[in-house]
Order: sequence, then structure tokens, then C-alpha cells
Amino acid sequence: MFAFLKKLLPQRSVHPVLLANRRRFAEFDQAKLLTEYCFVVLDTELTGLGYRDEIISIGAVKISNMQVEMGTVFHRLVRPLNLSPNQATFIHHITPEQLRTAAPIEEVLPDFIEFCGDALLVGHFLEIDMGYINRAAKRVLGGTLANPTIDTLRLVKAYKETSYVCDYGYCDQSFPCNLDELVTEFKLPRFKPHDALEDALQTAYLFLFMAKKLNGGQVKTLRQLHQVGQPLLLRQS
Amino acid sequence: MKGNERAAAPEIVAEFLGRIMPFKELPLDTLRQVARQMKVDFFPKGTRLLQAGKSEIHYLYLIQQGGVKSFIMDDEGVETLKDFRGEGDYIGALGIIRGALANLDVETVEDTFCFLLPKAVFLDLIRNQPGFSQYYLKSFSEKVVATAYSELRRHRMGRSGDSNLYLFSIQVGDIVRQAPRTIAADASIREAAAKMAEFRVASLLIHEPGDEEQIIGIVTDRDLRNKVLAIGRDYNESIRAVMSSPVATVLSESTCFDALLKMMSDSIHHLAVERKDKIVGVITSHDIALLQGHAPYALFKEIGRQQSIEGLHPLSQKIPEMIRNLIKEGARAGHIARMIAILNDQILARLLTLLEVELGPPPVDYCWLLVGSEGRREQTFRTDQDNAIIYEDPTDETQAQECEAYFVRFAQQAIDHLVQCGYPLCPGGIMAVNPKWRQPLSVWKDYFTHWTAVPEPEEVLNATIFFDFRVGFGKAALADALRQHLHEVTRKSELHLLHLARQCMAARIPLSFFKNFIVEKDGEHKNKLDIKVQGLTPFVNFSRILALKHCIRETNTLARLQVLAKEQILSEELWKEAVDAYEMQMQVRLVHQLNQMDAGEQPDNHIDPADLSELDRRMLRDAFEVIERLHGVLKTIFPAS
Repeated sequence: MFAFLKKLLPQRSVHPVLLANRRRFAEFDQAKLLTEYCFVVLDTELTGLGYRDEIISIGAVKISNMQVEMGTVFHRLVRPLNLSPNQATFIHHITPEQLRTAAPIEEVLPDFIEFCGDALLVGHFLEIDMGYINRAAKRVLGGTLANPTIDTLRLVKAYKETSYVCDYGYCDQSFPCNLDELVTEFKLPRFKPHDALEDALQTAYLFLFMAKKLNGGQVKTLRQLHQVGQPLLLRQS
Repeated sequence: MKGNERAAAPEIVAEFLGRIMPFKELPLDTLRQVARQMKVDFFPKGTRLLQAGKSEIHYLYLIQQGGVKSFIMDDEGVETLKDFRGEGDYIGALGIIRGALANLDVETVEDTFCFLLPKAVFLDLIRNQPGFSQYYLKSFSEKVVATAYSELRRHRMGRSGDSNLYLFSIQVGDIVRQAPRTIAADASIREAAAKMAEFRVASLLIHEPGDEEQIIGIVTDRDLRNKVLAIGRDYNESIRAVMSSPVATVLSESTCFDALLKMMSDSIHHLAVERKDKIVGVITSHDIALLQGHAPYALFKEIGRQQSIEGLHPLSQKIPEMIRNLIKEGARAGHIARMIAILNDQILARLLTLLEVELGPPPVDYCWLLVGSEGRREQTFRTDQDNAIIYEDPTDETQAQECEAYFVRFAQQAIDHLVQCGYPLCPGGIMAVNPKWRQPLSVWKDYFTHWTAVPEPEEVLNATIFFDFRVGFGKAALADALRQHLHEVTRKSELHLLHLARQCMAARIPLSFFKNFIVEKDGEHKNKLDIKVQGLTPFVNFSRILALKHCIRETNTLARLQVLAKEQILSEELWKEAVDAYEMQMQVRLVHQLNQMDAGEQPDNHIDPADLSELDRRMLRDAFEVIERLHGVLKTIFPAS
């Protein structure tokens, strides 16, 4: 614990990339059309879900004008601090050797924040990804990301609540929330799971699908999207 | 290693492009560059992607998943469906290349994901990749765009282009040049002739004296010549004595092609044009001939003028060529089948007329029956002969022998000539040369009684062939008597309908065809679809069963369905779906046979899925689903006991 605090101390000064990031969102207008915002849909691969686990890969793709830009993608491996050969990285098709030669989070994160630019961040179960990203950002950059976020899981929930009223007049609350199951349910084009970029693309498809199907296609502005799936936007920290 | 390249497009795009023409021909690095420019958009079902004449096209749309329909909406908001496109198909190429606005309305029929290739990138490929422009230019000439184009001409261009097209696109009301000239029925022949001369018209409509709205007949130049001058009739007689009555009419919104069919099938030259119960003008065969140059009507007339049977052989060989043109010009399959039937009937009528002259008159009246697909007016390019002779019951044994001797020769020669005209022999022997199918009326009645009483496979098969009979040539009253008999025996017992229905419902719907196709991409599975047996016959059988049950005289499947809808035996919605599904399959079949003939092959009904576009497959799948609903109707009428 003490070692952890010590590590944090030299980073008290905030990294310039984060300062720029904060300036971008100092004033944020929710009233514009969805097509006027940029979104970055992201996914991370982790060594596990525990407190000591770390990011080993970040994948992201940009959406502008509500179209996925297939040429504007971010996909990087990250060398974790604790590289244990026993870790269950097998599922990600990432070998320990690949991780050993990957860049550390200190190098990847600023690139990623720059890639995100003034985009809103979108992800499936985004809180988990953002938790790990912000924890790393605090440690190596001295603060967290200011980008507003949207969790596709909440959109899915809102979509089901508004459009799937069953015969008994109430909706089924026990819906599957796993991305793979949702892809099957909504018959989306399928990407390879367990790869950060592929999962990010998969989520991007889910996001487009939701944004355009919610409320019978009547969601036009960011605020409307926000209101459909209350609460969508996390606090800006 | 620093992770993947930031700018590399996801594999999925390159994979997708690598599977579709013409992108898969691109060098790998070009393909990757193109992939990097791609965007993905999602369009929920029912989204209007393009609007004809309004939308600028910014992207080539490549359908990753889902489907779209393209259609034309006329000024009254009536939609004409042009095309379906599905996975791997493109939208917008034509407009981008021509630098024009969208020429069709395009709307998603399913939730659809598209890859979007920006216009500039696409044009760059068109300019720099030779195979590329060729691919799109070639496919433009293919049938779908050809029909889209013909519609385009219809909507955008004046009356200067390809003349045959107007038969299908121009409405009768459009070629009416002036209000009808009329005269009261009590006017004299001389007054009528003077009026025709004054107005420089070749016909006058005759109205009831005192009521100009009530048109009761027509008089033409020909009537004056034949019924007045030639026989020296008194010019002061009333015109009522020489008019033709009633007047054949055609609705003003019918196409000129419809009018032409009517003139050809009824052998008339003038049609009064009706709009909202009012006669607004008269059109003549000459008006239509002006529109279409020569094609079908000229051939029809030429057949009628032939003085020797041998002269008919080469004329009949012209029919496929003419049909080919009609298909290429975008005629509907239903129209084409009617046109084929009219021309074939004309050949038959001329042939038998000349044959009667050659052999002398028959000892008793007879009727040349057409059965099977000919009976239903559903032939395609070359259909086997399916015919029979029914003749009046001979009064005594001598006459019976005379009949036998005459009709055996008559049938043999007729069939031989038909073969020479290009109608192959029926492999099942369903022809008038077969003594079984050359019988007097009473025997035919017995046949029909037997077939409805004994539900064995052979009887059921005969029922499906012969109950679709119609008059090919000769005395129609004989066929009418037989039809009447059929209705009577059916009314007494519907048992045979139950067997027909069971047989119909036993047919498996070939939806698995698509599954096989989708699974077996490498083409090793040589699973072909018999579009006649598996696709069309269920509609034919369904219509026949209900037509028999409700004593509907029509034999044509589309006509039967129409009557069934009119009588509210079939819901309007199901009727329309069935018509679309049936016509669509006829179209696929015609195009398939046309391609075979172009390749010098014998036309057949076996469709290789690999030859179908995604659009055809999608439409076929929808068509097959209609079969299921028709079976549902049969199930409620004939519940399984």
C-alpha cells in the first residue's frame, strides 16, 4: 500500500495530454444532433477482473456522422507490470511473448487519449473498462479522463423496456447482457470475440443499432439519447 | 512490437471486399487501401436510403447484412417494385458513374448494415482499375438495370426512344387524340358518312337518340364498305342497321399492350376508351401499330394471312425471338405468357383452317382442346404439345367410322405440322393422335366422371392435366358442354377435390434449397431447383382446386386467382402476394430459358442457385413462403380427417 502511494506521488503534476483532455470538455453541449458528435467505441482486454489485474490491450474505433470509420481504429497491446506466464491470456490469443515486447501503459495511454480527442466514449459494460483506464491514468498521468461516456448496456436495457412489452404488460427484466448473446438476439453481423478491436467494432455496431432503433428511430440529439436511457452519462470527474 | 498498425482497417472489411466482385480482383494492397476508406452505417428496416430524382449519391453502398428494395413511385404514389438487393450487392453505382441523382427509390426491407465507399474513392477505382468499370457497365446491361432503365425512359423521356417500350408503358388514355365523334342511332347512313368525312375520322360511336352519353355501338369505314356499298343498301336507312354492337371497350388506364392483346384476341380493330364510366375516345389498331413499329401485331397478322401450312413453319419460328425482345424490354411475365398463347393460338387456328381445306370438311363438328400448360395459357418458349380432340357424338355406326377415319388423319397431320412449327411432341402422349384423347363428347364426359370418382394416382394426374382445358380451335359449345359436365359432377361430390388438395399439400416447400445453397458455397452440392414443379405447380394446383370447387371457368392461374379474390374466397392481400410470387417465378423461369437459348442450350426448368442473384434468391424465398400460406387456406377448407 505504501509503495503504491509512493508511486502516485511523483505524478501529482497532471500530464499535458490530460490537461488538454479536460479543456475539451470544460463546456459540453448536449443539445446537438448525434451526427455532430464523435464517438470512440472502445474495449479493453484485462489480465483478470481483480483489483490487481491490468489492461493488456486496448481496441477502439471512431464513429463520426453516426458512421463507423473503419480506417480510424486504435489497437495496441500493453505490457503489464506483473507479467505472469500463468495468467489466463490464452483466451485473448495474446501470447506472453507478445506482451513482453509491447509498450507499457505510460506510452499507450497518452496515444489513446489523443486518439479519443473530443469524442464521447462508448463501450459495453463501460464502467469496468473505464475503471481500469482511469486507475492507470491516475497512476501514470495524474488524473482521469474527462470524456463523457455512454454504456451500450444501458441503451439495450432502455430499448428492451420500451420496445419489448410482453403479453402480460410488463417487460422481461432478466435480459442477457453479454455482448455475444445480444449480437445473436439482434442478429448483428458477428465479429471475433475476445479481441479488443473486434469487440470494440462489435460494440460500435450495437451502438449504431441502438441509437437508431431506440424510441422508434426518433432519437436525434445527444440529450434525447441521454433521456431515453437514464442515466447515461457518468459524472465528469 | 508496438501493437497493430493504427491505420489498418479491421480484417472484416478486407474479408468482405475479398468476397465480392469486382473488389476481389483488386491487388491486395489496393484492397486494403480501399478498406481503410470504408465507413459502416446502419439503416433500420423501412429507412429510405435514396429518393428517385432527389437524392445525391455520396457513397457506393455495399450491403453487409440485410436487404433493400428499389422501386419507382409514380405521380399517384403507386409503387412499382423494381428490385431486391441483399448481402454483397451494391446500390448507387449507376448514379455515381453517371453523375446523376438517384434514379430509383431505395428503402431497406430489413435492418441493414452497409459498408459505405465514398464516391470519390469509387470513381477513382472506376478510372484506374479497368476491370472495374467493365464490371459495372456489364451489369448495367443485365436485366434488372435494363428494366430499371426502361422505367426510367418511361418517366424521364418524351416519345422518342425505343418504340416497342411504349406498348408496356403508355396508357391507352394517353394516345386518345380527340373526344369521340358520335351520332344518334336514328341518323341515316348518309348523315353518318357525311359526319365521318367532315371530321376526317374512320369511325363513329353511335348513341341512343336523345342520350349522348349512352353509347350503343360503333360504325367504321369497313362497315360502310361491307354492309352498305358492297350490298347496295339504301343510304337512307338508319345507321343502327349497320353498326356493330356493343362496342368493345378498354379502360383508359390500361397499357397499350393490354389493348393490343384485346384487339388480337377478339380480332377487332377499334376499342372505345372508357374513363370513369364515360367513353372518352376511340383507339384503333393503327394507333397502336404507329407506337410499336412492327413486332407482335405484325407477326400476328402475317400468320393470319398465310395461305399454305408450310408458310406457317418459319413464321412460328419467329415467336421465340419476339418473346425474347419483349422480355428484354421489361414486359411482365403474365403479359408475356398471354402473348405467347395468343400467337400460338393464331398459328393453330390458321393451321387447322388450312388443314380443313386440304382434307375437306369434318363429318361432325369438333373442338381442338388445349390442355395442361397450354390450356392454362402458361407456355414459355417451347412447350410440348398438349392437345386433344372432342367431337360431336356420331348419330350412327357409319358416321362413327367416318369420324374415326377423318380425325385420325386430321390429328396426325396437324401434329406433324405443329412439330415442324417447333412445338415438340408430348412425351406423355397427351395429343390428339393418341386415340384415347380423340373421342366424342359422351366418351369425354365418361372420362371426367371416372376421374372424379376414382382417386387413384393416374386419375388424379389426368385431372390435373385435362381439367385445365380450353378451346384451341373449333366448336366452343362442345368444350362448354364438357365444362358444364365437370361442374355438375364436382357439385355432386367434392371427394376428388379432397384428393387433389391432399396431393397439393403433400408437396414439400423447397425452402431447404436456400439453406443448402447458403451452407454449400463451394458449389459441390449440385442441388438444382425445378422451378416449374417445386415453385409454380403449387400455385397452379391451388388455383385449380379452388376454381373447380367454385365452378370458375377460367383456366389461367392468374385469372383464377383474380376471380377467387373478386368473389372474396381469397383475401385481397393473399391474392396480391400470390400474384407477385407467381409472376416473379415465371419471370425467373423465362429469363433462365432465355439465357439457355442464347447459349444454344435446350430450355428447361432447372435453376442452378449459382446462376441466381441474391435478389432472385430473396424473392424466390418470399415466393415459397406464400405457398405455405396457400396450403394453410387449403387446410381450413379440406381439414385432415
